[in-house]
Amino acid sequence: MSKENSRRNFLKKGLEATAFAMLATTEANAFSSQIPGRDEKDSRHIGQKGKHFVMVLDLRKCIGCQACTSVCKIENEVPEEQFRTFVTETEIGEFPDVRKAFLPQLCNHCDEPACVPVCPTGATFKREDGIVVVDNDVCWGCGYCISACPYDKRYFNKRTQTADKCNFCAQRVDKGLLPACVETCIGGARVFGDINDKNSEVYKLLHNFPSTVLKEAQGTKPQTFYIGLDSRVEELFSTTQSLDDIVKAEEGFKREWEKARGEVENHG
Amino acid sequence: MDNAQHIMTLVSSITIEKPWGIDVPNYFWFTGSSAAAFIISSFAHVFGWKKYKPIAGIALLMAFVLLVAAPLNLVDDLKQPGRIMNFFSYGWENFATSPMKWGVLLLIAYPILIFFEAQALYRPYFVKIAQQSRGLTKMLNTLLAFGNMDLSEKALAKDHKKGYVLGAIGIPLALAVHGYTGYILGAVHANVMWHTPLMPIIFLASAMVSGTGLLILLIPLFQRFLSERKSVDRDMVATLARLLSWFIVADLVMRFLWLTFSLTFANGEKYALYQYFSLHFQDTLWIDYVLCLFVPMIIGFTKLRNIPIVVYFGGLVTAIGVWLFRWNTVIGGQEIPRTTPGFLHYTPHVFGQGSIVSVLSNWGVLFVLICIVLLVFPWDEEMEECYKGAENAK
Ligand code: SF4
Ligand code: SF4
Repeated sequence: MSKENSRRNFLKKGLEATAFAMLATTEANAFSSQIPGRDEKDSRHIGQKGKHFVMVLDLRKCIGCQACTSVCKIENEVPEEQFRTFVTETEIGEFPDVRKAFLPQLCNHCDEPACVPVCPTGATFKREDGIVVVDNDVCWGCGYCISACPYDKRYFNKRTQTADKCNFCAQRVDKGLLPACVETCIGGARVFGDINDKNSEVYKLLHNFPSTVLKEAQGTKPQTFYIGLDSRVEELFSTTQSLDDIVKAEEGFKREWEKARGEVENHG
Repeated sequence: MDNAQHIMTLVSSITIEKPWGIDVPNYFWFTGSSAAAFIISSFAHVFGWKKYKPIAGIALLMAFVLLVAAPLNLVDDLKQPGRIMNFFSYGWENFATSPMKWGVLLLIAYPILIFFEAQALYRPYFVKIAQQSRGLTKMLNTLLAFGNMDLSEKALAKDHKKGYVLGAIGIPLALAVHGYTGYILGAVHANVMWHTPLMPIIFLASAMVSGTGLLILLIPLFQRFLSERKSVDRDMVATLARLLSWFIVADLVMRFLWLTFSLTFANGEKYALYQYFSLHFQDTLWIDYVLCLFVPMIIGFTKLRNIPIVVYFGGLVTAIGVWLFRWNTVIGGQEIPRTTPGFLHYTPHVFGQGSIVSVLSNWGVLFVLICIVLLVFPWDEEMEECYKGAENAK
């Protein structure tokens, strides 16, 4: 081999080695139109093909006990003062014709979610079974999805410092279990299942009773359906000045926003 | 108030989650003012308006530093700033629907473009300095001239052409770099205040206002204390004041369209917006509109514009006023309840991530960057030559 050739060879090898090293180091950050978990077809990202999970909230049966609220916190290790689901408690009517009304709320796992298309990292997405999830290894915590959700159902998890919300307990559902809140609901107000299965309870409920969704006009096509929803309860969403303001003023309940941003531990 | 009511209301207010704090209005203000400074520099570089020639260079440099400092606000607002690479690597399928994603391209392309435009503008000066100096200065200036030491007519014409082309491409890019921030908000249909197709245009109009206001403050400062001429070009101040007034007119028209539609002809959500503005009616009217828009508009349209100190005041209040407008839009929009009764309230922290100090630090970074470009770029010589050129032409 001539001198010239061996030099060229050496250069070539050097280049190859550099290119390889560059590839190897960027591999973890290789470009993807989605995210690595989805590219690799990780079952947690793909879900159960062919199924479409929905939840039905039969308000006729909800007693506002908050069992779901608490079990969700335990199952999903939701940090203190943060919630994936909760039951709004309110009073409607005027004395003497008053009654309590409860509104269990959670991520609606919208069919056209407002939160997903705005995500700049692709960290949040809809699985093939309709469950909307967040990959908290990818989320960079920009908060766009939180701003975009018309239902205020996302928050920054204080522990992971990423966007978080209800995931229909996908970790349980994928093992054939029910979401924790459904499992624990003592009144049987929360029903969960595959709407594509004509024998499922959700299918039967939704076909036998009139149901509705929250804020239909937002066009997100929620997959959490309510039976017996009173429009006056929904009005709660558009009240502005309220009792809350009086309470906040009385108790000096400030900095609630930072609390929600996970920046302060306690009230005040 | 009895206990039951306490429980009731507190339960209804669970998970109040508003992600964007003080960094975001500051970011918007920076990008907006940058876009405005760029457009003003293009008046001379692209449209050939001689009047603006002397300040075109410095405006371009300000556009550059504002945009270099701006993204730091975003990084500070992130919960996981260490994952910034994910923004570049993943999620491209959302490109069409996530205005935040557009920022990847814009925030990279725009400052690079400005840098090259400034390089084309200042190259002859770099060459001159390099020829007259030695050592490090010579090296730096040769580097900034990209090694092209040709000062022939032909080479200068080429620089000019380059500046023109980059300036022309830069105009839509500058509009996009700020317009996209308006898009970020406007795209959020869940937010009654943000969700209007006018948002990008409202943002652009008010950006022109804040950017001009900022130049009104900075240019005289540079001319008086940092340049050879040691005096303020009062005609220029008056010209900018008048320009500012026209931008304010545009801004007011946009806001008029926005508010009249969203408060009266919109769907049911107008009630919440109406409540919000009723609550903030006095401050909005007197501070945002009267003090920060009408007063400077009157200054620019009347003889008052010939009194520099009055114009500086006008520039200052518009710059502040637009900052407040960004704040009221970003923070105010999030204060309006969506699923909870009652408005939310946000008070930024003094220290820490997303705090008052972090925003002040960002201004500190801007200050340092300004110092650096003023030192590196021969803006003074260029400005002087423009003034001389204008006098000779007379
Ligand atoms: S409820 Fe909100 S977070 Fe859940 S899928 Fe719909 S838009 Fe997304
Ligand atoms: S906070 Fe995370 S999940 Fe939400 S939009 Fe940003 S990157 Fe996506």
